[in-house]
Amino acid sequence: MGGNAANKPELLKNGKRVDGRRVDELRPIKIVARVLNDADGSAYVEWGKNKILAGVYGPSECIPRHDQSLYRAIVKCRYNMAPFSGAEEHGRSGPNRRSKELSKVIREAFENVIIAESFPKTQIEVFIEVLQSDGGTRCAAVTAAAVALADAGIPMKDMICACAVGKIEGEVVVDLGKEEDNFGESDMPIAFSPRTGDVLLFQMDGLLTKEELARGIELARGASEKIRAIQFEAIKKVYEEPREERFLIIK
Amino acid sequence: MPGEMVSDKADRIAYAFVDNGKTYSTVVGLFSDGKLVPLEGPYEPLAEDMIVGIVAEVKFSGYSVEMNTAYTAFLSSREIRERYSMGDAIFACVSMIDEVRSTELSDAHKLPSGRLVKVSSVKVPRIIGKKNSMIDMIKAATGCEIFVGRNGYVWICDGANPTLAEKAIRMIEAQAHTTGLTDRVSRYLKENGGKDYSPSHVPSQPQGIGSQQGAQQGSEGGHSPYGSRSGGQGGFQRHSRYPPRQHGYR
Repeated sequence: MGGNAANKPELLKNGKRVDGRRVDELRPIKIVARVLNDADGSAYVEWGKNKILAGVYGPSECIPRHDQSLYRAIVKCRYNMAPFSGAEEHGRSGPNRRSKELSKVIREAFENVIIAESFPKTQIEVFIEVLQSDGGTRCAAVTAAAVALADAGIPMKDMICACAVGKIEGEVVVDLGKEEDNFGESDMPIAFSPRTGDVLLFQMDGLLTKEELARGIELARGASEKIRAIQFEAIKKVYEEPREERFLIIK
Repeated sequence: MPGEMVSDKADRIAYAFVDNGKTYSTVVGLFSDGKLVPLEGPYEPLAEDMIVGIVAEVKFSGYSVEMNTAYTAFLSSREIRERYSMGDAIFACVSMIDEVRSTELSDAHKLPSGRLVKVSSVKVPRIIGKKNSMIDMIKAATGCEIFVGRNGYVWICDGANPTLAEKAIRMIEAQAHTTGLTDRVSRYLKENGGKDYSPSHVPSQPQGIGSQQGAQQGSEGGHSPYGSRSGGQGGFQRHSRYPPRQHGYR
């Protein structure tokens, strides 16, 4: 969506997409858990060209006090895109309309699974920094934040995972890249609770027919199973490998 | 892993919840023998926990004590005979905790000069070991008195080799989920200049505050709690038996 028709690339050719993927194929995903020293939980995700860092702090005393609840922990979420994260001009850093919206939808997705009743009067803070973006950052952000929360030991009913589906050249495809997002017809990020199959985040840009939507959700569900396996693998590695080997190596 | 099934019946298991007649985990943990042991997580204070805390504020009627949680505990002046100042380390018992986590402490003792090591509270049972084996070994090898709080604060009193004790505790924290840890720690202590120690001759504990290690057993069952020896040592003894942690989620 939003791309200029004049320089639109051929998005789908013989069933292959611009980056050579099949319609139901995800980009390569790499997750490393516990990358930050001082956060209670953290995760780093490389999803195609997306690079996202998530940190979780808490439960800690809720500040300001008027936000605190006697019944549950307050979940706070901050999604932020680094000024250097994308090809386009992002201008000044800090929250803008888009990042505030994403912070809100991500927070609401996690409020469904975090067992907040165990920690009255506290806050749980989730910080998500997009270091490099290439389409589908909110799904990668949700995936990273879920791993960070699990790493922090915060009780959750499920490990959330998210995946976008969309339509390019009249075909429903999974996990849109930046070009497919910009020049495609539709983009639909969905976050699931895989245990129950509940949809926790659902947004749509562009138009889809009823049938395409059903097909899209089905594709995203399949993809989310694969992502969940990668998330679990990342958490297991924290306990299997020594700290130094897991540490981030910037290539 | 959060959301993974631990039982296909509706069981009441700590750190798990029941949905639709089945039981699922809420944390990253190890599941065996119907018990879920979390590998990470915040400290949730329970009554009768023995904790190491830091005096955060001196008030008219008592002290606010910081104890590795989102909640500061209150220690009333009525409960104690000493005076503290800000920053003092104390060893105390959680006497009361209510539904909004207002916490009160009792049976406090000021700790002698030493150093504070912060570990994750879920690793505390491993630091103590079965029948205090681990902590007794470190104490004997390093010549330091050590107080382990259930909240994950470990106070190492000044002694022969507190640095080695700290390193050993950090090692246990890093490898808490592995087996054969006692042997490895024992070897590590020996190689790094710890005093010779074999489990057969546990040094007899001196009477007094030093022997009143009231730290608690966690979810690993079957150990005798700290100080289960008979004989009145006053104060701490009545709190030494730790009830099984019973908080399930519904």
